[in-house]
Parts: sequence; C-alpha cells; structure tokens
Amino acid sequence: MHIDLKKEIRESNPGQIGIVILILVVVLAVAAPIIGRYDPIQQSAATLLSPSQNHWLGTNHVGQDIWSQLLYGARTSLLVGFSVGILGLLLSILFGMSSALIGGIYDRVIMRIVDAFIIIPMVIVVILVAAYIKPSLLLLISLLSVLTWPGGARVIRAQTLSLKQSGHISASRTFGAGWLYIAWRHILPDLMPILLVEFIYGVRRAVFMEAGLAFLGIGDPMVVSWGTMMHDALRFSYLDVWRWWLVPAGVALSLTIIGLTFISHAAEAVLDPRLRGEAVA
Amino acid sequence: MRRKRCLTQDCEVKPLLEIRNLRVSYGNDTVLDGIDLDLSSGETLAIIGESGTGKTTLGMSIMRLTEGKVRGSIKFDGKDLLALSEEEMRRIRWNRVAMVFQNVNNVLNPVYSVLEQVAEPIVEHGLRNKEEARERARELLAMVGLSSSRLSACPHQLSGGEQQRVLLAMALANDPELLILDEPLSSLDVATRSELADLLKNDNGRRARLVVTHNLDTAGKLADRLAVLYGGRIVEIGGTQDILQYPRHPYTRALIRAYPNMTTVKDLQGIKGRMSRPVSGCSFHPRCTQVIDICRREPPELSWNQGRAVACHRGGIVTILSVENLSKNFGTLKAVNSVNMRIEAGETLALVGQSGSGKTTLAKTIIGLHQPSQGEIFFDGVKVIGRGKDFYRKVQMIFQNPGESLSHRLSVLELVMEPLEVQGIGNKEERRQKAIKVIGEVELPQAEDFINKYPHHLSGGEMQRVAIARALVLDPVLLIADEPTAFLDASVEAKILKLLLNLQESRGLSILYITHNIAAARKVSDRIAVMLDGRIVEEGPSNLVVTAPKHAYTRRLLQTASSLHRFETGVTQ
Repeated sequence: MHIDLKKEIRESNPGQIGIVILILVVVLAVAAPIIGRYDPIQQSAATLLSPSQNHWLGTNHVGQDIWSQLLYGARTSLLVGFSVGILGLLLSILFGMSSALIGGIYDRVIMRIVDAFIIIPMVIVVILVAAYIKPSLLLLISLLSVLTWPGGARVIRAQTLSLKQSGHISASRTFGAGWLYIAWRHILPDLMPILLVEFIYGVRRAVFMEAGLAFLGIGDPMVVSWGTMMHDALRFSYLDVWRWWLVPAGVALSLTIIGLTFISHAAEAVLDPRLRGEAVA
Repeated sequence: MRRKRCLTQDCEVKPLLEIRNLRVSYGNDTVLDGIDLDLSSGETLAIIGESGTGKTTLGMSIMRLTEGKVRGSIKFDGKDLLALSEEEMRRIRWNRVAMVFQNVNNVLNPVYSVLEQVAEPIVEHGLRNKEEARERARELLAMVGLSSSRLSACPHQLSGGEQQRVLLAMALANDPELLILDEPLSSLDVATRSELADLLKNDNGRRARLVVTHNLDTAGKLADRLAVLYGGRIVEIGGTQDILQYPRHPYTRALIRAYPNMTTVKDLQGIKGRMSRPVSGCSFHPRCTQVIDICRREPPELSWNQGRAVACHRGGIVTILSVENLSKNFGTLKAVNSVNMRIEAGETLALVGQSGSGKTTLAKTIIGLHQPSQGEIFFDGVKVIGRGKDFYRKVQMIFQNPGESLSHRLSVLELVMEPLEVQGIGNKEERRQKAIKVIGEVELPQAEDFINKYPHHLSGGEMQRVAIARALVLDPVLLIADEPTAFLDASVEAKILKLLLNLQESRGLSILYITHNIAAARKVSDRIAVMLDGRIVEEGPSNLVVTAPKHAYTRRLLQTASSLHRFETGVTQ
C-alpha cells in the first residue's frame, strides 16, 4: 500500500472541484475583514434594506450587513468544522488505537461505550443537550467532539488490529519496541489515509451540525453563523428579503458541505480499490 | 585442582607415561603451558591442534630432544625423564621410547642404505650383534611394507611413502614401549595412508602410542583418546569418537567444522581470527565466540566429567537457548505440542517440517510474538519471563517475507537504524555509522544512493539482506531465521545461506534456521530437528539425521527432497 493521497485527490475531478470550493471558502473567511466592509454584529437603524452599492446583500432586521455576515459565517463554520474534526479525530485515535493495542477488558469496555454512542441518535442528543445548556462556541466544539469520536474510533481500532499482525510491526516488536513507539512510528503513518478521510468526514458533519443547531435557534445568538442567518431570514420569508438573505446563506452552507463531500469521496475512492476503477483507467 | 583419572579398564595399573605441569619455553615464548597427560600401555592418544600449537614440542620434550627450557615432570615407568642424566636418557631413548619424525628430507642419512640405517640403532644399543641386527631390520622393513628390492636403496631413491615406512621401521627397531608418532601419515597419499594406519594399529597391542597430528582423520583412525591442544594448553580430552561426534570445547568444534570429510554434511567453516600469542587468560579467547570477562583474565583448568575433560570457564560450549515442554494452542489446535529443544552457542539448529507443522509458531513463541500456552524457555540459562529490551538485544528474528517485514515507508538506512533507535543506542550519527557498517557486512552497497532507497525499489535478495542487516545491527547472540529464502530463487538463496554461515563464523551467531527444505538444512546446520504436527519427532547431528533417519517422516522428507540425480534408494548418500 503505497498511496500518494494528495496526488490521487488532485487527479480526481470531484476531488479537484471540492478542493477549489474549500479554498474559495477559506479565502473568503480569511479575507472577511477586508472585503466585508462592515462589522457583522454592528446593528444600525437601516433595517431590511435591499441590496445596494453600500450593502451588497442588503441588511437584516436589526440593520446588520448580510454580506459581512455571510463572510464571517464562513469563519464560524470552518472554525467549528476543523476544530471538531481535529478534536474528534484525536479522541478517535486515542480510544481506537489504545483499545486495539491494549485489548482485554479495556478494549471491551471502550467498544461497548462506542456501541452505545452509535446506537443513540447523535443529532437528538446534541439538540437536547444544546437546548439545555445553550453552549458557547467553545462548548459546542467540545460537545460535538465528544459525541462524534466513536465512529472513527471503531474504524481505527479495526485497522490497527489488522496492522498489529503485519510483518513490519512484528519485526519492530522484536527489536524491543513498546506500543507507544510502534503506534507513533508505524501505525499512525500507515493509518494516515484513513485518518484523513475520517477527518474530512468529521469536519463535514460538524459544519452541518453547527448550522443545523443555529438554524433551530439553539446556540449562542451572538455568534454569526449561516444557521442563525437562515433562522432569522425564515421569520421574514413573507418579504422579498429571502432572495438575498436566506438563499446566499443556504447556498454557502451547501457549497461548503458539497466541497467537503467531494474531497472525502475522492479520498475514499483512493482507499477502496473497488471504487477506483474508472478513475485509474 | 587435579584429580586422579581412570580412563583405562583396569584402574589399578599405573600409567606408563605421566606428564605433570609440563612447561616448555623458547626464550620468552612459552610453547607449552601446564600440560597434564596420562598414557597407559596399549593405549593410543592423539594430540590434535593447528600448526603452531606446540604439538611437536610435546613429543620432542618427552624424547628430551627439544632445545627449549623444560619444566614440570615427565614420568615414564615411574622415572622422571627430565631428572635423568643424558647417559641414562640415551638408554631409554630409541630403546623404550621411540619417535617417528615428521618426514622431512633431512631425517634420514643420505649416504647409507635404508637397511643399514634401520639396523644402526639396534647395534648401537648393543642388543644384538651386527648380523642379527640386519636380520631384525629386514623383518621390520618387511613388516612396514617396504619391498625387499628397496632394502639397499639410499633414502633419496625412495618415495615419500617409502621413506616414512623406513622411519617407522627405525622407531620400531628396539620394540619400544612408547612410540611417539609426529604427523605419521600427513605426507602420504590417501591409499598409503590407510595402509600404514592399519599397520600402526595392529603392530603391537601392548605398546603405548602418542600420535601428534593436525589431521582429524589420522587421529580418528588411530587413537582411542584425543587431546586437543591450543595455544600450548590442552583444551579438551576424551574418547575419540565421543569428541568427534560431540565436541564440547568451541575450538574443538571449530576444528571439526573446518575439516573436510565424508561424514559432515554442513559446509566447511573456518575459525575466526588467527592464533596469537602470548595471550592472557584463556588462550582461545580472542577467537572464541562465547567470551565472558573471566576468560580474558584467567586461564581455565581442565575439569573432568565422565572421562571427558574440557578447559573452559563456561564449561564448554554453552546452551544458549533451551525450550522445555513448550506448547502453544490456538483454540483446540495444538500448533506446538510439548516441544523440547536446545541450541548451543555458535551452532545452527535446523528446524525442518512441512508447512503447518508449527515451525513458525514455535519461532514466534520463542521470540515473544506469541504467548506460550504451557512450558518454559531459558535463554543463556535464565528463564525467560517478560521480554525486555535486553532480551531483544540478544535474540533477533528474520521473517519469511522481507517485503512484509520491512516497512515500505522507511529507507534502507532508516530500516537498519530502527532497532538502534528503539534500543536507544548511541546518538544519531553513531547509529548511522553502525547501520552503514552492518549494511556492508551483509554485502550490500554502502553508497548514499543505495541506503536512501525504499524497499520497493529493491530485489527480493536485497530486501532479505536488509532484513538480515537490521537483525544483526544489535549484535544478537541468537538469530531466528524463519524460511529466510522462501521467496528467493536458488542462486540468491545460496548467497543468503552462505552469508549466514559466514556471519556465524565471524560473529559466533547461534542460528535457529527454519525451513521445509531438508536439502538446504543439511548444508547449513550442525543439528537437525524434524517437526511434524507440532512435535519434534527426530533430532540429532545433521549427518546422522540425513544418512540414518529414524522416524518414518524424516525418511519421507529425505525421499521427496530435491535431488538432481536419480538414486535407486531414493535417499541420497
């Protein structure tokens, strides 16, 4: 298995599109202060304006610039997405790998916890918990991370178990290497492609969850978010404002998720030779 | 600590020759250093050793013909030869103690006929008159097989074999009680050699003989007992067949391994290094592969056990690994079933059996990749419980498939450095130097562009060499090689096996060589263990297992082994 993941993703069409979209979103999010022109939370008397030279997408019901909100919303989405992606993945690696390597009772306990997490519908738990504690952004990230690691942990555990039996890891053990060394030096590099797929999947799910919670009105109302924008816009759907208020936010969210989906799809195709067929030919 | 030994049947009889603490030196150079030997009437003792170990000096000292300074005591029939006056000695020399010299051209007087020369000592010692002496000489020369037409020839007219016969006749002239033979057969061709050997063996049942030779074949043919001499000391003594089949001193084993003969099936191996003197401590320690501290400081004493003696601080060749009653079950499958096995330092044990017989499971259980279901493993005499880094510094394994056992994301250099890194040996630069050295040792290029290659750029043979280098970089004592050539073609296989043998010679590695190929096993192993359904069904010296298999399965293995010619019996040799 000698896969150059970056190369494979670059060479697949959906992968390319996904990367372009993601880069676009990232650039817009980073450049928000420059091209946004207005502070997204700065309220003004000019409410519900139509798009104009001053406000490209008009203003909302409290006079905030929608274009700026859209840009800063990308920041929130990406921040939550990538943070949860990384945190969740770290938890997945920690629990998945340790239970594969330690085994025994520890393994069984961890796996039962994983089973429990997977059986319980996560979305409902998140909604319930979030509705109850009204989390700040940081708390939301932690909450999503804690709730999303079990799936990844199971995949990583399975892969680690099979790697554990492989020749070069047996060899490393016969040099006297401990499991920590082996995990760091051999298993992690070997798992890299899977970890990447898990990561992107985690990011996508977190972006979606954050927007979903905000859309439902759960969460910090002071945070600029595509979900909050849609939540607010929907209340004024009897006016024409949905065209420059609801639609851009929805499109931005959809595009981001589609971009991530494309990337993870390309990466997955790389990992599973059965899905590679056409791409290689 | 010197104990009374009883080696002949009737122990009451005092030995004819008793040598005690014999030391001979030329100037500052000590040639013999504390030799103790007993020789009884009717017994043949062979002194073997490489040239330069002092064998000839020993014979010459008994004859009092050496020019060196001699100390200690040589008692012949109760009299200390070293204390005798020259006159008294002359009466014993050639009369009661005679010596056949190594045939070099200047021993015989070139101007006298051989008959005269053989008759001379008889006359000189005044035992018979001249005519009787000639008669006796004629008889002797006939006995040693010199044709009667050659009696009046001068030495230079005789062939080497004939000269040797004359020398023998001269020595036998006065029917000595002790005959010393210095390389009696070395200069002869094989046919003459065996004829003369028969002659020597049968000439007189009461005579004591001391055969000095470097030739194991001569020693084996003539002697009842062997004494192995190294660096002026006796390192091992015992019954001839006993020693030749089961040598206990590392030097004796090395000597046997180096000797071409028809019964050893393993490839010839040399002895690392060369003899150097003077040496403090055990004289063999610079070339020995199981040296411990004390070997460098103190010379070992001969210690006796059941008619064998070995001079070694470690009590002879040590058992490096022993496995007792070891079992490994996978569910109801008994993959390894009550196996007993031992591996000695510096030897190769081949574990032979078909796939599924439990060979690899046994190996993995030894190295700790499987936990044994039952039984014990001892390494260097100590029971192996948890395997720490120390254990893996001494025991290493080469796996069947190098493509799998080498991580594809590490370069050759990184791969070979990994064990050092795991063990935390040296700093980065030292590790690199060490790795490069070992890469050279396994005959791989040490060039920068090679050591930066990745495994998938290498051939199967190169990959296996990298795996071997990686296993050797920690300087292990025991190497477990699990079908190391299973994925290689024959020419590469041969090279890898040769490499393992050379490494064994230079490093004194013990090797557990696992294979399904008994034909390859016999070329590289000292002993073979045959495994079937998780049990060892036969175990013994390779030559015996291959030529006289006891178990039906071993016979079947031999019958089906690769052979390039068809034999009637199906079994080679």
